Order: sequence, then structure tokens, then C-alpha cells
Amino acid sequence: MSPVNFFVLSSLLFGIGLFGLIVRRNVITVFFSLELLLNSANVLLVGFSKLHGNLYGEIFVFFVLAVAAAEAAVGLAIVVALYRLTGSIDTSDFRRLRW
Amino acid sequence: MNEVFFYFFAVLSLVFGLVAVTSRNIVRGGVALLGCFVSLGAVYFTVGAEFLGIVQVIVYGGAIIVLYLFALMTMDFATLKSEPIKMAIVAVGGALALTTSLLLFVGSSGIAESVKPSISGAEDIAVPMFFKFLLPFEAVSVLLLIATVGAVAIGRRED
Repeated sequence: MSPVNFFVLSSLLFGIGLFGLIVRRNVITVFFSLELLLNSANVLLVGFSKLHGNLYGEIFVFFVLAVAAAEAAVGLAIVVALYRLTGSIDTSDFRRLRW
Repeated sequence: MNEVFFYFFAVLSLVFGLVAVTSRNIVRGGVALLGCFVSLGAVYFTVGAEFLGIVQVIVYGGAIIVLYLFALMTMDFATLKSEPIKMAIVAVGGALALTTSLLLFVGSSGIAESVKPSISGAEDIAVPMFFKFLLPFEAVSVLLLIATVGAVAIGRRED
């Protein structure tokens, strides 16, 4: 299998994630886009791990998974707290950085 | 045969990813993202990264997406206003996304070797992880604990 396959899949996922990150104003969908960006990096790490024949890339993917879980937990807590405060999950409504 | 499955699940994950990002209904987007993650787990399986494929489905599909959908349930969708689409932003985002994709794709042109699918199960991953990468592993466990405490502290209702 050619490594170009992994590059194409990873770059397209990254493009989709970047598009969502720029265009959408809904915080939850922005988080979805962030997850897609993280996953595009994971795909490339797995591909390179198999290309070079060692497992370090796959171990790094494992760490990325753990950090993504932590990011999702804290990010969602912030979004829920903001929703309670403002009643909205639109990024343009989050203008105040103090309370 | 591996390649056929790779292409199938790669296309599937891209389609699900597009639906997840562009869908107006957030719940539908979340479920599409679940499909995207499960397809990516299958992609990992086609090159033999079995442990990662399983962990991808369990952690991303089972934990993260459920967390998102759970947080969505605390919100009232009827009061959320629909977002207006600005063509300028869509054009800028599309152009930037296409440029980045092309740049990443161009970076792959110099590689001549080919990927050799080889099975890497939990046992193969465990040896380097618990010897060579023991310190990062412990650091990640502390990070997860801090994130859990932080999430509870932020999300707590203050009376």
C-alpha cells in the first residue's frame, strides 16, 4: 500500500476540519471540527508508524487520544457553564471574558 | 483486499466528516462524527493497527461522542438561533482548507517506500509503552486526573 493513501486521507480530513473551524459559529460543531483535525494527525502517525516499521507512532496516537479526551471534558464543561450564563452556544455571543 | 477496505472506509470517514461539519442539526452532526470515528478505526485495522482500531472505537466512539451528546442534552435546542451563512466566510474557509490539503498532499510526493501492513496488538504496543515511554504515560494519567477535577470544578453549579 502506498503511503500517499494516508497523506490523501489525512489532508482531506484536515481540510474538512479546518473548513468547519472557520465557517461554523456553533461551539459544539467547532469542537467536532477540532476532533477531526486531531484524527487527521492520528491517521498520518499510524501510516508513518507502519511505513517505518516501528511502533512509536502508534504509541503517540495513544497519547493523542488521552489528551483529546481531556480536552473534550474540560471544553464541554466550559461550554455548559457558558450556556448557563448566556443561554447560547453561538461563538459570537461569547464576547465578555469577565463576569 | 486490504486496500479495498482501506479505500471504502476512507471514503466513508470523509463523507461522515463532511456531514458532521456541515450539518445544521447538532445531534445529527454528532452521530455522523461517531460514524467517522468508527470508519477511521476500521482504517487502522486495514493496516494491522488492531489495538489502536479498538481503542479508537472505544475512546472516541464510546466516550468522547457520548460526552458531547450528553452535554447537548442539557441544552434547549428550541431557543438556539440558527446561524446565518456568510458566503465570504465560506469562500475564505474553503480556499484555506483546499490550500492546506494541497500543501499536505504535495509533502507526500518524495516518499517512494511502501507501507507494510503488520499486526500490532496490545502486547506489541505494551513493551515500548511501559519501558521506553513510561514517564509520558504517567504524565498523561496525571493530566487525565487534572482534567477530570477541572471539568467538575468548572461545570459545577454555584449556588
